[in-house]
Amino acid sequence: MGGPRFRLATLIAYGIVSLWSLLVIIPTLWMVLGAFKTRREFFLDPLGLPSTFGPEAFERALGAGIGTFLLNSAIVTVLSVILIVVVSGMAAYVLARTDSRWMRFVYLLIVAGFAVPVQAVLIPLFQLVSGAGMLNSLFGIVLPYAAYGIPFTIILFYAFFLDFPKELEEAALLDGCRPVKTFFHVVLPLTGPAIASAAIFQAVFIWNEFILALLMLTRPDLKTLTVGILQLGGEFTADWAAIMAGLSIAILPLLLIFVLAQKYFVRSLAGLGK
Amino acid sequence: MRAAATTSAGGVVAASDQGGQGGQARPASGLGSTLFLLLPAVGLCTVFILLPALLAIVGSFFEIGLGSTDWRFAGLTNYARAMDDPVFWIALRNNLFIVIGSVILQVGFGTVLAAILDRGIPKGGTVFRTIIFAPMVMSTIAVALIWLVILDPNVGALNTLVKSMGLPTPKLGWLGDPSISLGILLLIAMWQYTGFMMVLILAGLQGIPKELYEAATLDGARGLTAFRHITLPGIRNVLIVAVLITTIGGFKVFDLIFATTRGGPANATQVMGTYIYQQAFNLGNLGYANAMSVVLLIIAVILGALQLRVSRRA
Repeated sequence: MGGPRFRLATLIAYGIVSLWSLLVIIPTLWMVLGAFKTRREFFLDPLGLPSTFGPEAFERALGAGIGTFLLNSAIVTVLSVILIVVVSGMAAYVLARTDSRWMRFVYLLIVAGFAVPVQAVLIPLFQLVSGAGMLNSLFGIVLPYAAYGIPFTIILFYAFFLDFPKELEEAALLDGCRPVKTFFHVVLPLTGPAIASAAIFQAVFIWNEFILALLMLTRPDLKTLTVGILQLGGEFTADWAAIMAGLSIAILPLLLIFVLAQKYFVRSLAGLGK
Repeated sequence: MRAAATTSAGGVVAASDQGGQGGQARPASGLGSTLFLLLPAVGLCTVFILLPALLAIVGSFFEIGLGSTDWRFAGLTNYARAMDDPVFWIALRNNLFIVIGSVILQVGFGTVLAAILDRGIPKGGTVFRTIIFAPMVMSTIAVALIWLVILDPNVGALNTLVKSMGLPTPKLGWLGDPSISLGILLLIAMWQYTGFMMVLILAGLQGIPKELYEAATLDGARGLTAFRHITLPGIRNVLIVAVLITTIGGFKVFDLIFATTRGGPANATQVMGTYIYQQAFNLGNLGYANAMSVVLLIIAVILGALQLRVSRRA
């Protein structure tokens, strides 16, 4: 196998990915460090490190409501994801297992729903939910969130169920299980990986969702994190440290989950290209 | 062998067991359970996706007053207004700029990164992948705010860095200068989304069998030649999907602009999403906003249909 251990091409390759990785890390790091700086430090030495590492900025951010925003986002995300996974699983199961013109039509409709972005129907959607009294309700926003997450998840589950071995279900049916029960007791427990991938994808999307949350949750104590940090940016225009503290708190939960559960992210993304 | 009873209209067809070929196992209870399993999904999507889409289309032909029950039929007025509205065309043009720029930057560089992670470096691929993808899990609002501070003329890191290299900084600010603001936003989007494209394309690359590369090496074709003749064709479909996803994203862009420039300065960064928002929620021109929404809807549906057709083929 001769040749030098480190070919030039490999060095360049490492160089490129390392440079881009640094480009990702440095702004993020700068922001987190910024949460510990004083105002003077910001103006005098923007590129420097903070001299002390006190929690004051974080306290100010929390005082402005970040904690509440975090909780709201968590509630909305968890509820929405559960709803999406269960409802999509049920529907995808029937769609994958039943072969008829109706089912194909329904699947086509669902897929058409996938193409519709929230922005394109924002106004009638808003009129609808406000007319139905769903504004300023954490439960109220869960329903449209679920609706917009269902098409993609059904597509994901549908492909999964098409490959799912039918012998298990047939065995259960032979034992007298009705199909609904078969679904919940036999099929659902085994779709773990697909559920994980779908759930994570939707969770990230909903947690970071902005415009619907902006329009539907306007009461200060109901705002989600994403909307809240923008508000924070407006409130604390000169309190850079507090803004950065707030941003650090905002990005931390998902970053942590991402690092710990990477493979599910990657898997659900790989499904997009398929 | 088991035979199950057939039921009718619910579309639940029964099959008798025929050695496992062709037919699918059929539940014998039919319509009730089918509906129960399907209805929540179909119901939610109909109410919150289909219905608003229809309402947007219908509403675009009306002028809607402040009280939302005040609809006056206006025919194609709203659409005519869009045709004559220079800001509408600016917005559309900006969307196209973002689309083309994003495809070149995100898909282009994402492919380079993916290729490197796939076969260019022997170790450390996962670490790099994690780092480069990470901005995707930050909300676009958070990303926008981070960069807003970095780009700040007074306390921002970028100006300090640029000045220390002896280079001039834009007088109106990075985002305040109409000639570069959209470009800067494009770069911020690239910072956030390139990792996404990288992971997507990487998945496609990893689906190419190694034997193809080995056979090519035996024939004397390596490096760039192999890339052109084995890699690129192998990820053709994934690349198309990546381009389509980026294109759709380029038309949907809203959060980034809303959190930074809101369409300014002087509409330099105005896009469809923000202009619709402005017309509807700041100016109250609901009918007009609906018309523009329908344009956006048509574009999105066409692109979405394309994306699904291509990814089925992959």
